[in-house]
Amino acid sequence: MTRIAFFAGLLIFLPLVCVAQQIEIFGYFEPQLMGARIGSELYQLSSNKLRVDLQSEISDHVTFGANFDYITYHGKTEWDILKFLPERTKNQAPWTQLFGYNFNPYVLQFNDRQFLDNAYLKLALKYADVTIGKQQLSMGTGYAWNPTDVFNKKDITDPTYEQPGHNALRVDLPLGAGYRITSIYAPTDDWEYTDFLLKLKGRISHFDFSVLGIQKQWRYTDARLFDPLLMSFYQIPTKRRILGADFAGELLGLGVWGEYAYNDIYVNATKYVIYKNAVISSQSASQPMNIPANYYELVLGVDYTFDFQTYIMVEYYRNTEAHSDHRNYSFNDWMHLLFAEKRSITRDQIYAFVQHPLTDLIDFGNSCIYSISDNSLAIIPMLTYNIFQNVDLTLIGNIYFGEEGAVYSDNMGNGGLVRARVYF
Amino acid sequence: MKNAIIWFLLLLIGNLPAQELTGEQIIHKVNDLMNQETMYARMTMTIITTSGQERTFEYESWSKDFGEKNLIRYSKPRRVKDQAILMLNNADDIWAYFPRTKRVRKLATHAKKQKMQGSDFSYEDMGSGDAFINDFEATLAGEEEMEDHDCYKVELTKKKNSDSHYSRLVMWVIKENFVPVTIDYFDEDDSDRLLKRLVQYDIKEIGGVPTGMKLVMYSKEENKQTSMHILECKYNLPLDDNLFTERGMKK
Repeated sequence: MTRIAFFAGLLIFLPLVCVAQQIEIFGYFEPQLMGARIGSELYQLSSNKLRVDLQSEISDHVTFGANFDYITYHGKTEWDILKFLPERTKNQAPWTQLFGYNFNPYVLQFNDRQFLDNAYLKLALKYADVTIGKQQLSMGTGYAWNPTDVFNKKDITDPTYEQPGHNALRVDLPLGAGYRITSIYAPTDDWEYTDFLLKLKGRISHFDFSVLGIQKQWRYTDARLFDPLLMSFYQIPTKRRILGADFAGELLGLGVWGEYAYNDIYVNATKYVIYKNAVISSQSASQPMNIPANYYELVLGVDYTFDFQTYIMVEYYRNTEAHSDHRNYSFNDWMHLLFAEKRSITRDQIYAFVQHPLTDLIDFGNSCIYSISDNSLAIIPMLTYNIFQNVDLTLIGNIYFGEEGAVYSDNMGNGGLVRARVYF
Repeated sequence: MKNAIIWFLLLLIGNLPAQELTGEQIIHKVNDLMNQETMYARMTMTIITTSGQERTFEYESWSKDFGEKNLIRYSKPRRVKDQAILMLNNADDIWAYFPRTKRVRKLATHAKKQKMQGSDFSYEDMGSGDAFINDFEATLAGEEEMEDHDCYKVELTKKKNSDSHYSRLVMWVIKENFVPVTIDYFDEDDSDRLLKRLVQYDIKEIGGVPTGMKLVMYSKEENKQTSMHILECKYNLPLDDNLFTERGMKK
């Protein structure tokens, strides 16, 4: 009822405010139907997403931008995450007692939600751009993976989907001749773990490059330790410090790009002792989870467009925090992957993408993600059809070919989705 | 006798042909005309697909330094609003901006082959600055009437080290004002294969520069065409260099 009243108010008052303030309203409506075979069951989940964007040029140098998302879910709205895990790992999941009953905390719930995704002010000053508030932050030159982007985790089956906003203060300082310094500050709950980023971007010949340093609070979740009172898993905060670089340019007629990030993980000794004691006192975990001292991520990519309009791209990704043998994927590794806490649990991967316009309005694309480390493969065909002037229809399939326990095994759920998007 | 000699000389001069321009000279004049110091235009682009459907886009474009820098930003429809393409160094450096993800992506020059929003115009057709001079050798192939204009017919053949995606162009240039009223584009690998034809209509003087207010690209292999209409156009206006940067792309 509250939601209905809120939206009724929004619909009535927003146009009036917009006329007065010359606010531009736009956005899209996106209904989607998704289906997957999980084990022996067929799951179907549909959603309706309404995104309303507001934008206003308050003065020559000040812009206000915001968007509000409202999403409803229907169908199978509770997914048991354990069903995606291999048998060997699934058995490691501890059962939790709640009021004397067995309780499964590993259920992903798709609840209706509405939230302010972005809301920011951008000041275009003479020598700098300053952006304050919730805003999209994206780093790196990679297509499927971005090691230097600590703010977002792309969905590998749909890497170009928009990312959420993050609360931050961002300053961009153009230095001329293609050079620019970007700094980002984002407050956290602990001053010691405040998020900072400093990046220098430049250009040499036909290559763009950047070097950057980041400090980011990073929480490692131990999915074996569930607190039924707080209804949450135990998390240990760490300080993730990154030195990174990226480039994009052209070599022998091919587009080439790369991205590298060296990650140094700092764990406060006192907090780690408290965590170890929590593990020892628990009945569900025998050893603390592995928190690496350091690791690196690397992306190298190449692309080309043929005369007949076919576009191809290949990207290689290495993550040394991840495992080269799938028998080493732990229960926590799977949970970190499925809850998007980690980009990968398999060490070496290749992403290949081919796209061709079938007609003026229909594009066909196909992505293949191959784990070199565990020899598993995901094939993701995609068809996009601009059905009317402002209406896109997208079909995406997911087919997995990997043995039990591999990252792209059919435990991940063969299926697909149909998505329409109507822009207004 | 003296008068007879003068009359003879006058007759002789009168019958001498005007000094003929070479293909290279004509193409330089075309290039000078097309690449003014700066330019701003607001245009619509309408694609008529093979199935007869229409898609209309509106965009703004800015160019500076005689076509060496180009920025294109879409304003309509909503689906592509604020998407931008920046081309520097005669389109040897290209960046695309996607407002939905706030990402700027550096593209290699092969991206110039890609069709602009599925139209019959490639990015190479849109912003290659001095491409007619740098990428092609021009020879005068004759004089012909085209689209009711007296024209030079100029043949442009791709130079060896050029990265153009056409093997040759045939251009009909209006003698009076050096507007390339028609251009035929031939396949990179098969120089006899005509891919498409560009025709300029409704030529008007804007700020002293003859400008085709309507351009139509006819696809010769598919039953489709793309037309562009200039809604607003200005030449030689002051444009800040900052416009042609990543900051400028994001507005």
